[in-house]
Amino acid sequence: MILGDLLGTAVHDPDGGWLGRVADARFVLDGTPRQLLAEPRLLGLVVSPHSVASFLGYERTGLTQPWPLANLLRWRHRGSFLVMWEDIAMIGAGSVRLRPGFIRYNPQLDDRGQE
Amino acid sequence: MTPSKGPLAPAPHLAGRTLDAQLHLMDRQVLDHDGVPVTTVDDLELSGPAVDEEIPPGTPAPVLTALLTGPVLGTRIFGGRPPSARLIRIPWKDVAAVDVVLTLGVSGENLDAGWVERWIRDKIIARIPGGRRDPR
Repeated sequence: MILGDLLGTAVHDPDGGWLGRVADARFVLDGTPRQLLAEPRLLGLVVSPHSVASFLGYERTGLTQPWPLANLLRWRHRGSFLVMWEDIAMIGAGSVRLRPGFIRYNPQLDDRGQE
Repeated sequence: MTPSKGPLAPAPHLAGRTLDAQLHLMDRQVLDHDGVPVTTVDDLELSGPAVDEEIPPGTPAPVLTALLTGPVLGTRIFGGRPPSARLIRIPWKDVAAVDVVLTLGVSGENLDAGWVERWIRDKIIARIPGGRRDPR
């Protein structure tokens, strides 16, 4: 599938409740080793309850400058969470449904842009 | 379902490098192994899952198979995306490094992604007097 079709898709809990939209997809380079880099495996999806997409990623980094922009974007993406691939029950054309008992993880990345 | 209030659990620590598609890959410039610009990353292709089908528990996670590039200017403005067949694929196995730009481990001269530039160079620029001279 093409990732662009997934970004911005609505995310629902198992009961059909609204959780947000797919703001980003997180990959981890621990797949099958290739000649140059390992295959990026889909780790999970970053879900944002208040915005269609993520912008500049302030909600996932510790950046605080410039102060007004950082705070505005962090507020806009408040409540964002990471949901693991194992907790995704179905990816549809218009919505993503999660499994019962799914866990909301902190989407924060460290200073190097890593978990 | 976990409650939405309160601090979120930290994600499990992973040994491999983490890449967020929008933050680290999409819209980045792609250079070939000589540092020559090839294209930009317009989209990404995954190995799965099938759309609108239930994902059985324990299904292995899909992997990123290719960088996609193509005529996306119109669809960026008016919405949608070009048909999958119109998108040009650069297989992930050709990617050597991900940084501010993506670097390929192969020459860009033979990639489909640069055919428009090569066609303009060979059919138009080369016919202009002096157009075959290397400016460097």
